[in-house]
Amino acid sequence: MQYLKRKTKTVSACLASTIIFGATSAFAQSITVWSGYPEMAPFYEHVAASMKADFPNLEVSVEAIALREHEKRIALGLTSGAGGAKVIELGQSTAARYLENDLLSAAPADVAIFVTDPNNFGEFFVNGASSDGTVYGVPLFRGQGALFYNVDMFDAAGLSGPPSTMAEFTDYAVKLTQRDANGEPTVSGWSLRLSGGGAGISEKFWINVFQYGGSVLEESSDGKWRANYANEAGRQALKQYLQNVHVLKTVTQEMPADAEAFERGQTAMFIRESWVISDIAAKAPDLNYATAPLPVGSIGIPTNLYVSEASGADADASWAFAKAANDPENLIWMLKNVGWLPNRANVNYAEVTDQVAGFAGFLDYPADYKFFGLPAIGPIDEVLTRLAARLTKAFIDESLAKDDDAIDTFLAEAAAETDKILGREGLLAK
Amino acid sequence: MLKSKKWRFATLAILPSLLIFGYVRMFPIMETLRLSVHRWDILSKRKPFIGLENFRELFQDQLFLDALVNTTIIAFGVLFVTIPTALVISALIYHRTRSRFAGFYETSVFIPHIVSLVPAAMAWKWIFDAKLGPLNALLEFVGIPSQAWLFDPILSVVSIIILVSWQALGYAVLIFLVGFKNLPISLFEAAKLDGASGIQRFTFISVPLLKPITLYVSVVTLISGFNVYAQVFVLASDSQGAPGRQVRVLVLDMLENAFRNYRVGYAASEAVILLVIVLSLTLIQFGLLREKGKK
Repeated sequence: MQYLKRKTKTVSACLASTIIFGATSAFAQSITVWSGYPEMAPFYEHVAASMKADFPNLEVSVEAIALREHEKRIALGLTSGAGGAKVIELGQSTAARYLENDLLSAAPADVAIFVTDPNNFGEFFVNGASSDGTVYGVPLFRGQGALFYNVDMFDAAGLSGPPSTMAEFTDYAVKLTQRDANGEPTVSGWSLRLSGGGAGISEKFWINVFQYGGSVLEESSDGKWRANYANEAGRQALKQYLQNVHVLKTVTQEMPADAEAFERGQTAMFIRESWVISDIAAKAPDLNYATAPLPVGSIGIPTNLYVSEASGADADASWAFAKAANDPENLIWMLKNVGWLPNRANVNYAEVTDQVAGFAGFLDYPADYKFFGLPAIGPIDEVLTRLAARLTKAFIDESLAKDDDAIDTFLAEAAAETDKILGREGLLAK
Repeated sequence: MLKSKKWRFATLAILPSLLIFGYVRMFPIMETLRLSVHRWDILSKRKPFIGLENFRELFQDQLFLDALVNTTIIAFGVLFVTIPTALVISALIYHRTRSRFAGFYETSVFIPHIVSLVPAAMAWKWIFDAKLGPLNALLEFVGIPSQAWLFDPILSVVSIIILVSWQALGYAVLIFLVGFKNLPISLFEAAKLDGASGIQRFTFISVPLLKPITLYVSVVTLISGFNVYAQVFVLASDSQGAPGRQVRVLVLDMLENAFRNYRVGYAASEAVILLVIVLSLTLIQFGLLREKGKK
């Protein structure tokens, strides 16, 4: 009898622990966040920590790697059915291909209501997170360009404010360039994206073409696309690059460039996104700089959070994560610590923007300031990458600098290639 | 009967290895060949058969042609730098085999081969830096103007050849050393008695006798030269601050077409061309060196 009681107790204890363990496992959620911006990793970890109250058993693994590798990871991961629920950070234009092939889940009703609420997000961002009227993503941040300029260098050159026309950009670059005894530039007046690989070169070129009234691609009334840079705007933009590199020598291809050069005082001004503000705060806190809007308008590339799995506890937790990322407290944290501009409208960001003057160039722009985004079409990356390969060759071709006809020929050939890619994909406008 | 049983056992014993080899080696090659005649964007379930369309487009694609030319120059450049240099260095090390520094010589030459590729390429990126690099500092010290190593279209290819050769040298030297150690000493002694100088012994005895080793090392070096990627990626990637000119090579072009442009069939056709080139060159090398070896 005693033996039976003991045995019953033991069995009960085993059963109870099995049930408790099973229940705990059943309620535990595990998600992975894939990001293409390493600087975003602390933000996602911050979001995960903020969810602990509602999801005590939530395990979030943040995997933030360089953007190009991130794109490869998504291409391989989503198609091979990489296990587990994933929150995937993806630019609107890149997501288009995955949506066409049903590789990303539609947002559940509560998330769709949150995204489509006009108080939360403007139409531009809602459209960017949707396809055929269905919401697939949760808008998070945008890549918006502005001019960063070194105030001390501007003062030393007798310049009281930022350039307001593209002609002034060149004039200012000449005045700002510092040279050695041989006349060789030691500090570039205007750091242009002249080399490297990938689509970034074309994006930067597009920003400049846009200031002259053109674009790399333009949409026709039938929803198709064509190249729009083999024209006056394209010639002006490319000529400005060539003039600065070969004629005025305000910058060279070998000179240090981009944010690092700006932070080290190796360039006086350059156009970049808002993440540079946090980068400067971390790496060059004493740098005396300011930002300014561009003459006509800027690129605005929305990045959204998508979820790879359609249903289940992990998928629910993933959508909850995407929503939590948009909590006001988290967005303010992102703006303050990472610098990417949040897309959500009804949040008061003043506590950050009032303190950091660098945000002025991104937020205080004229009423007629225009924005453009990258088209959400499959071959957009190929269009930009192939154009970039051509541009890098053109930038080092001194013979183009003083020959408008040669520039026109170059642009016509590049545009023909762009149209050929669009034609191959059935996207070329008549 | 016994023979048949032996065969059956041998076949069964080797079957697992053959299956694994077939799955991990042959299947991907066959799949690449199949994909090369299809249009596939990696995401879609549709893979329409398009015959040789990918190949036709490839030979009109300037980026692919640039990549093919660059890769060929790099592969042969590495071959022509590595093989003679490795042969001479291994001869010198072998000559000093009894020296107490012999181990040091071998290790110091071999270390670049085992050093992780990315940090090594990062170090070379600094060496080649136009403004801050020690290479330009050295050139200026001897009165030669500094060069834009990573930006000039020709010098950027030369930089990659130097880096890849530096890495390939250790392995080549090691294999040549094994060859030297197996050469019959009597031949060298006889030549010495006949009055042959060290250089003559090296040229007329060592080099011909080392042909099988040279064949192996040159095939391995050439194949790895055609597969160059990581060095190019690190030396001239689009990292911020100091981007270099991106030298387009075949593997980089393939990766870009497959995972950035979502054209896996097109990238597969590039892989097929790379396979054909490497196979052809290997067969030519075998033919040349074996025929001459027989004579």
